[in-house]
Amino acid sequence: MLLPGLLLAGMLLLLAAGLLYQLAIQPGVESISLGTGVLRTIGWTTLQASLSTLLSLSIGVLLAWALSHRRHFFGRGVFIALLSTALVLPTLVVVLGLVTLLGRSGWLNDLLALLNGPELSPVIFGFGGILIAHGYFNASFAARSLLGRFEAIPSQQKKLARSLGLNTWQRFKLIEFPAIAASLPALATTIFLLCFTSFSIVLTLGGSPKYNTLEVSIYEAIKLDFNLGRALGLALTQLGIGAVLVAISTRFKSDNSLIATDQTDAHWGDSLPARLCQWALIVVFAMLFIAPLIAVFSDGLHSDYRAIYLNRDFQQAAVTSIVLALISTFLVVIISIAMAISFATLATNSRLGKHPAATIVIRLLSFSSALFLAIPSLVLGFGFFLLARTIGGSYTVWSVIALLTANVLMVLPFAVVTLAPAAVKAANRYDKLAFALGLNGLARWRMIESALLRREIIYIASIAFCMSLGDLGVIALFGSQDFITLPWLLYQKMGSYRTQDAAGIACFMLTLTILVFLILPMLLGRRNHATP
Amino acid sequence: MLHLDAVCFQHTPDTDPYRFNLSVARGTITAISGRSGSGKSTLLDLIAGFLLPSSGHLYWHDQEITALAPDKRPVTTVFQKNNLFEHRNTVDNVVVGIDPSVPSAGPAVARAREILASVGLSKFEKQRVSNLSGGQQQRVALARALIRASGVILLDEPFSALDTETRSHMLSLVRQIADQSSRAIIMVTHDINDSKAIADEHFHLAHGELQPQAR
Repeated sequence: MLLPGLLLAGMLLLLAAGLLYQLAIQPGVESISLGTGVLRTIGWTTLQASLSTLLSLSIGVLLAWALSHRRHFFGRGVFIALLSTALVLPTLVVVLGLVTLLGRSGWLNDLLALLNGPELSPVIFGFGGILIAHGYFNASFAARSLLGRFEAIPSQQKKLARSLGLNTWQRFKLIEFPAIAASLPALATTIFLLCFTSFSIVLTLGGSPKYNTLEVSIYEAIKLDFNLGRALGLALTQLGIGAVLVAISTRFKSDNSLIATDQTDAHWGDSLPARLCQWALIVVFAMLFIAPLIAVFSDGLHSDYRAIYLNRDFQQAAVTSIVLALISTFLVVIISIAMAISFATLATNSRLGKHPAATIVIRLLSFSSALFLAIPSLVLGFGFFLLARTIGGSYTVWSVIALLTANVLMVLPFAVVTLAPAAVKAANRYDKLAFALGLNGLARWRMIESALLRREIIYIASIAFCMSLGDLGVIALFGSQDFITLPWLLYQKMGSYRTQDAAGIACFMLTLTILVFLILPMLLGRRNHATP
Repeated sequence: MLHLDAVCFQHTPDTDPYRFNLSVARGTITAISGRSGSGKSTLLDLIAGFLLPSSGHLYWHDQEITALAPDKRPVTTVFQKNNLFEHRNTVDNVVVGIDPSVPSAGPAVARAREILASVGLSKFEKQRVSNLSGGQQQRVALARALIRASGVILLDEPFSALDTETRSHMLSLVRQIADQSSRAIIMVTHDINDSKAIADEHFHLAHGELQPQAR
């Protein structure tokens, strides 16, 4: 089962090459130009991404540390599950929640007015807002990623710390920091990359061109200035920087498959001040994380949601978004399974033996999926936008193709990284038995992979659905009266200050995301009794 | 003398309770054997203070230590694995036993060097412990146990992952420590031969109680 995955990898590489070709020799664009201020844009974006990374990692480390020490409290599982949703929550929905909380007439100022306090100038717009929103998403992501590392600290090390009388700082320095240190460079570069290529947050909260990222500049060059030469120059710059960042992040890649959470109930025996500090961190961060989501639900329920949901535009957007998300999910699952099985075939010695070409092909497979981390969906959309201009044809058809392609490629790096190690593990465990019993093809899939990879496949499917549902990248270029999705409709309502309508749409999107990402895996996962 | 007087413990209401009575004198080695899950690690955790008994008392030289925190007890433990701070060097891993701030010079470091010499690891003082062999790593853990002034050393199957020759050397070293430093040593082992080789007393743990075995 090597061929399908390899063919797909080849197609992905071809697609990337074709896209680059399309960008590089685009007819009809008079000249490629960067315009003035591109260096300033790169400089600001670098500063913004660095500060966002620092903020996210600092909060993430503190929160994960506190959660790993307080392992038994009511709602812990739900809170951790919510932290996991950070990557898939629709960006615009969270932005709306943050504005509801921290805007000029937001909940915070309402509370201060109630207490006869001073009105705070809104920090949610401009540089501060960008940092807060990036911190919101990425600190949760960092905390969730690092929690596994903290919890994998062996019980003997905890006992050792207690036996030696190490204080909280000494424990962190000698045991806990070394346990997470290996993950930090990869995590930092991933977060930096996400903040560097940020689009929706900067577009909605930036408020000034001086805070633009390259992606927002590309969007403005196309949509506002219709300067395709400048957009092309910026897109090529973005691709170059993205490729360097991806190369750096894959260099730091840490092997999460080795993490095994310590199942024993050994605890650190923390002092009272340390316990109070941990509780304070958990309570404060839980409130900060959950408050914007509650704000969205609350405003949504107070809106005239019946009228909103009966509106034709909303229904069209909802159907388009859900159908596209379902198709994207199906494609992501099929492609990632094919690639993961190819990985397993190449990485398992019992199948091909130690063939020297195997390592090279494995790298090629990894590269073909990771490559699209360097190509943000807006740049990908721009490639299709240029292609549509060159070839012609129905704009709506091109929109659908662009959106589906972007959705699939956006999720594929995460999907392959999740599924491939599980497929290799399943192969290592059951290959000999399967060969001995003559299990092949579908029979083998039914007996082995379908059970052992079930949990990962459900996870991938839910990520693919939610990320596809909430992305504003490509639709920002292709959105029109005839072709609307939920994020596009929400963006339009926010832009025209129809906050009631925006609240109703955001509430719908948030509910759907949480249902799909949290509840669906719980329901489907119950049937999974196999542990790889 | 370490004395456990009817020390009882139960993990959960639906599991069998343990009830331990044991006396271990200074300069002796007591071996504890038993099947997996019989409660050997629970016994060591109770002595070390990682678990607190539901009833009963622990004494060290007639002084009750039942309620003392792990770092206040005259006890130090050597585990089967994860004994060391792998990113630090050998001296740091020993000196942390008496000074958790891990100084890089001073009397604590000098003492750590002496102890390392006594277990034959002088040459490896500056090496990261992750670069040492399994036997050498366990010797570092023993050195840290030695540098602490604890009267009781608990060995939780510390040599089970070692090859036969290294294991034999380590057992001789433990015997030497018991004889020369007058510590009370309790060693959990799966291997009856380990017990025969160095232990003064041998108990088998079954049905939640310690049963004396003939040597």
